[in-house]
Amino acid sequence: MAVRAQFENSNELGVFSRLTNSYCLVAIGGSENFYSVFESELGDVIPVVHASIAGTRIVGRLSAGNRKGLLVPSTTTDQELQHLRNSLPDSVKIQRIEERLSALGNVIACNDYVALVHPDIDRETQEIIRDVLEVEVFTQTIAGNVLVGSYCAISNQGGLVHPRTTVQDQDELSSLLQIPLVAGTINRGSDVIGAGIVVNDWTAFAGLDSTSTELSVVESIFKLHDAQPTAIVKQMRDSLVDTYS
Amino acid sequence: MALYNFKRIQPVPPANDFLDIVLSKTQRKTPTVIHKNYKIGRIRQFYMRKVKFTQDSFEEKLKAMLEEFPKLDDIHPFYSDLMNVLYDKDHYKIALGQINTARHLIDQVAKEYVRLLKFGDSLYRCKQLKKAALGRMATIMKRQKDSLVYLEQVRQHLARLPSIDPNTRTLLICGYPNVGKSSFMNKITRADVDVQPYAFTTKSLFVGHMDYRYLRWQVIDTPGILDHPLEQMNTIEMQSVTALAHLRACIMFFMDLSEQCGYSVKDQITLYQNVKPLFVNKPTFIVINKIDVTRPEDLPEDEQIMLKEIAERDGAQIVQLSCHTDEGVIDVRNTACDKLLAARVDFKLKGNKINEVINKIHLAEPIARDDIPRTPFIPEQVKGRPLYDMKDPKRRKLERDLEAEGGGPGVFSVDLKKKYLLKNDEWKYDAIPEIIDGKNIIDFVDPDIAEKLDALEREEQKLEAEGYYDSAEEMVDSEEEETKRLAEIIKEKKKLIIQAHRAKKMMKNRPVMPRTVITKSVEEMEEQLGQLGLDASAIRGRSLTRKRKRTETDDMDVDYPPSSPQASRSISVARSKSAVRDRSIAGLADTKQQKETEKQKKLSQRKSNLLAKVGESDRSIKVKRPKHLFSSKMTNGKKDWR
Repeated sequence: MAVRAQFENSNELGVFSRLTNSYCLVAIGGSENFYSVFESELGDVIPVVHASIAGTRIVGRLSAGNRKGLLVPSTTTDQELQHLRNSLPDSVKIQRIEERLSALGNVIACNDYVALVHPDIDRETQEIIRDVLEVEVFTQTIAGNVLVGSYCAISNQGGLVHPRTTVQDQDELSSLLQIPLVAGTINRGSDVIGAGIVVNDWTAFAGLDSTSTELSVVESIFKLHDAQPTAIVKQMRDSLVDTYS
Repeated sequence: MALYNFKRIQPVPPANDFLDIVLSKTQRKTPTVIHKNYKIGRIRQFYMRKVKFTQDSFEEKLKAMLEEFPKLDDIHPFYSDLMNVLYDKDHYKIALGQINTARHLIDQVAKEYVRLLKFGDSLYRCKQLKKAALGRMATIMKRQKDSLVYLEQVRQHLARLPSIDPNTRTLLICGYPNVGKSSFMNKITRADVDVQPYAFTTKSLFVGHMDYRYLRWQVIDTPGILDHPLEQMNTIEMQSVTALAHLRACIMFFMDLSEQCGYSVKDQITLYQNVKPLFVNKPTFIVINKIDVTRPEDLPEDEQIMLKEIAERDGAQIVQLSCHTDEGVIDVRNTACDKLLAARVDFKLKGNKINEVINKIHLAEPIARDDIPRTPFIPEQVKGRPLYDMKDPKRRKLERDLEAEGGGPGVFSVDLKKKYLLKNDEWKYDAIPEIIDGKNIIDFVDPDIAEKLDALEREEQKLEAEGYYDSAEEMVDSEEEETKRLAEIIKEKKKLIIQAHRAKKMMKNRPVMPRTVITKSVEEMEEQLGQLGLDASAIRGRSLTRKRKRTETDDMDVDYPPSSPQASRSISVARSKSAVRDRSIAGLADTKQQKETEKQKKLSQRKSNLLAKVGESDRSIKVKRPKHLFSSKMTNGKKDWR
């Protein structure tokens, strides 16, 4: 089920959290409301961890990870790294990487099998991504945007990409990622998908502004609650045409 | 929606208030004190300003009014027709036109009187002219009394119009009075329209909203229409007709077969046929209401046939519902919405806009590129686990609950270590120092570090034992020394270059001697070239060869004995040097004159030299005791200094 949430009046919850199949990082906010949204959905299944990276709350943008590993930028302090190590299960590898593009969440989009990365990322970093996250790495752009992590949200079940991605690009990306993809918006028309939504294989959290049409697309493409992606081109097609044009 | 918001129009004051506002503003915002002794130019200026200011305030207010009121030609035809029905287009346009004329007239009056004021020759005349100007403006404004009152009424009514978006998905409910239009509206939306058992309960358009298929729908309830020609319809009915004519909506024509509404089935059918031209190209439904009383099957044969006929002829669909028992309400709503949506999508697919959307309704399915299974990873606990329920008293305790118990946000601080996953739970709160013995302990957090270090040491020992380090040492020595020496030279050279460069940079803002003026001796040049590793002999050779033995006979004006240093100097001095002359002694006959000049120069520069460092901001007392401050007439005589 896609849950609507807000971090301190901001709809960009992908900035303040990072969700994977084996853990969830949440920024330390002024109150526990945001944390508890995640906790109520996931608390009994995977660890939901209060975290900060480099002293900031934008943990979602600075980190990248999947079920097998977590990458944090070189600006992460030793204490933060230790806190993450203590909080995450031992099966998750944590690696601090020296990369000029330190907002790893913006430049890496990954699920448990494939990662798309920014074209300018170091070759060594790509090696590390391959080893730590155990994924295949492809340098790609999404609708001409190099910040692949910002403009898409992917899980092992499906993915939502920038609304201006062309049909050919979608097909190509879909074949790379081996998951169904659809172009769409979140947060009432925002194209920064990565910031507006966080997903894993069984749940999704979207910004509070998201419309019901957007959420139903999210549920279908990520196969939440036994929904099927084909619904987008079948039952929901008319609604989508009417809202978008 | 924001496109048609008439609520923001500023109130229009009645003519008298209008005048009060403008005139008091003039009084408040322009100077009020004038005296007949002032220069006439100033007096004219004073009154001109008053006249111009008054005109400006009128202009500003009237212009705002003209801009804020919607222009009937610019807005959606639905709204322009609705305004025509409600306020009469001609009347509205005339009112706005008159306001515009008034604006121009006031402008002309102001111009005329400002021109006259230029020739005013006394305070009295100027004042009379100003009075006349304001008076004429006031008269013009007073003549607009009726227009202003009318426009204020229009404004108030416009502000209360429901905000109908003419372009969105709309269900439009129409039919005879009392057939249950408003009841249906209340059933499917939360608009809460007044429902009463008499005709024309609904006197204007009402709007409600509902959600269906992830979309927002607008439902418009219209007043009932009676079956008579368009010319005879009253304002209330005309509103319905306007909505029917201009909104691209799904039309739901309501019929009451039980005739409880007071109109026979035949009448209702005729009405349908009469208003039918308004439904062309719109999805239309004939909605049979009150089926708890009468169903179509209960009708007499001929009426049933008529009903079917009209439906078949126009492709209208007959649907049935009862607002009383809720039977069929939702079905009707859904069918209507589906049909409208299909119609809208069909229309859009024909247009150009669909090309922008086509990528958003495309589902990209992957083509398998290898045989690796990429299965989703969903933990077993997730399947069939109960969802978190806020109302369950035995629900899990979340951080939010702990926070509320712990004093709320800002007071409560989260226990970050509570959920650490360690081998031993007792370790959770162990204090770990960051730095021990000057070493950051995180650098040593590696369970295998001792082992790795051992391995390194063993390798080292092994290499040492094999004599890996012994052999190559001497060879390296001599080679290394040579390299070092070269490096030293290079370093030195580099340093010098940097220094020279810096020195050059330092000169940036200082006077620069032109190269032609700088004198350099041949020795200096030779030295420099020598340093650069170039052969300087060629240059020297040239000047040497040019040197001729000077005989005494050659020297016509010999001043010096040949052995004196001056003599050799004058011979060897290069041409470039001979061009330089000291201009300060040019034109002076002898040293005496030179000295005198020098003295004079210094004297004349003394003052400016003394003042050279004095600025405006330096404190200076020009006159110690200014006379005007210290002298006055005393009672007993006069004193110069006191």
